[in-house]
Amino acid sequence: MTTLGRARPPRGGRLSDRGFAWLLLAPGLAMFAAIIIYPLVSALATGFFEQSLVRPGRSFVGLANFREALAGEFWPILGRTLEFTLGATVLPFLLGLALALALNSGIRGSGVLRGLFLFPWVIPGVVVSFLWMWIFNANYGVLNGVLTRMGLIDAGISWLGRTDTAMLAVIITKTWASFPWMMVMLLAGLQTVPRELHEAAAVDGAGAIRRFRSVTWPHLRGIAAIVFLLEFIWNFQHFDTIYVLTGGGPAGATKTFAVAVYDTAFKGFDLGRATALGALWMVLLLGIVAVYLRAERKGAS
Amino acid sequence: MSIDVAGKRERLTAAPSRPRTARRHRLRPEQRRSRLAAWTAVTVIGLFGLLPVYWLVITALTPDDRAFQIRPDLFPREITLGHFTKLAENEELFGYLVNSVIVSVVTSVLSVLVSAYMAYSFSKFRYRGRRSLMHMVLASQMFPQALLLVTLYAVFSATGLLNTYLALVLSFTTFTLPLCVWMLKGIFDTIPDALVEAASIDGASRWRTLHVVVLPLAAPGLVAAGLFAFVRSWNDFIFALTLTGSGKQTLPPGLVHTYLGEFQTAWPDLMAASFVVSIPVVAAFMVLQRHLVGGLAAGAVKG
Repeated sequence: MTTLGRARPPRGGRLSDRGFAWLLLAPGLAMFAAIIIYPLVSALATGFFEQSLVRPGRSFVGLANFREALAGEFWPILGRTLEFTLGATVLPFLLGLALALALNSGIRGSGVLRGLFLFPWVIPGVVVSFLWMWIFNANYGVLNGVLTRMGLIDAGISWLGRTDTAMLAVIITKTWASFPWMMVMLLAGLQTVPRELHEAAAVDGAGAIRRFRSVTWPHLRGIAAIVFLLEFIWNFQHFDTIYVLTGGGPAGATKTFAVAVYDTAFKGFDLGRATALGALWMVLLLGIVAVYLRAERKGAS
Repeated sequence: MSIDVAGKRERLTAAPSRPRTARRHRLRPEQRRSRLAAWTAVTVIGLFGLLPVYWLVITALTPDDRAFQIRPDLFPREITLGHFTKLAENEELFGYLVNSVIVSVVTSVLSVLVSAYMAYSFSKFRYRGRRSLMHMVLASQMFPQALLLVTLYAVFSATGLLNTYLALVLSFTTFTLPLCVWMLKGIFDTIPDALVEAASIDGASRWRTLHVVVLPLAAPGLVAAGLFAFVRSWNDFIFALTLTGSGKQTLPPGLVHTYLGEFQTAWPDLMAASFVVSIPVVAAFMVLQRHLVGGLAAGAVKG
């Protein structure tokens, strides 16, 4: 902050307004440049080298890292990333929408309920992962306990340890952590729907579904698109839940881009390979961000 | 971001109101049906949403021999505070807690300072490149963190910053900035330009105007932004896991190291620890309720 002090203008101000405005931005922009822009550019460049995380020195290998990635791991990882992203976006969206509609219908205590429902979203992500790991535990987990009591299963299922259930378990965990956010955002959107319009439609004999389609949805569409895409973008790069719950396993069944890039760099120490995969991932992400920005602009107008 | 922070907040704090008379009339069958549907949705989703929280608390209070059963007790038959007292005696965990507090507090202060300057610049001055910069700040939270981390590790390693508080504070602050800047810009926008001009006519320098006139007016917003930054750094897992080793690590990776990867995880102990780790965040959230929607809209505590 010393630079700011030194630049303090005398009364009347020798510094122009524009200069002052940029001076205010300087510390923040410097941090962005050092922590985001430079690492990002450097990461994209590293993809063209063979480089280890732990040994100095590197050699230029051109597109080899990209070619190898595209020939092998890229496609299965893309498939699993999309599976996770879609599941962990659509489910919370539907739950959040149902809950927002219910809370907006004028039932008693909706304010208190809204606060209560936010708990899953508020507690730290790592705690969310611990909690569901315990719930899904093969031997002593409460999920297996309840299912056994109900007579649905005979022996405990290793939800996180089986290739056919691990992804579902991870998606359910992430759904639990994010549906409250969807609820709050959609509830805010619902409160822009004029009540009179609803009542008029009801008087005209429109049923609940018809009213949702013709009155509610047109008002809600803008914000719904934005929250859906934002959640999609976050899930596309989500790391914590998957890493703590399964570490990408079993047998790579939950290995998404975030986990794969992380593991390639920090367990395989293969920086070139990790950043090449990361660059491909980034291009896809930027595509989705572009869609988001367009939707956001449309939502604004 | 196009979402109108101040407007949304007002709309949400006012509970959805329905004419009082509607309740006194008997409900039409159609209304009764929709009310039934509403309560069904609330109940079903409520069970999904809140039972796990219940389970966290119950497990933290259950003695070990009762917690490790093939059919766990859904209602506690025996309750113990032993897991919590054990937690208090664990020096390693206490170290992680101290690290978390230091890093989160410093990040909050730095975030508020840096983002207030940026937001003020965006809000009260007009210059070329302003809009593009604002969009860049917003978009920066959409870059994949796992990828950034790979080279950030190399940068910090080369500069000797690995395993320092500074590495965490710098990276956390950068990730809290987008949200804080957008929140504070929304608040500065509501402070009339005339007020700023009046201060300068009275002879105050631009720095004085900002620090003595504008920032105090925005104080509640500054607190909210600070709490958001606190929660964001308190919750972070991946950066703290990678950029610091055991000595400087914060609670989330610290808990993973302490409890997971053992032959048999001490689940009740871990649930007690989870409970304690969640307290500051839940408390911050309760203070933040009012500002919540604006914050959520601008990109949220959990990135």
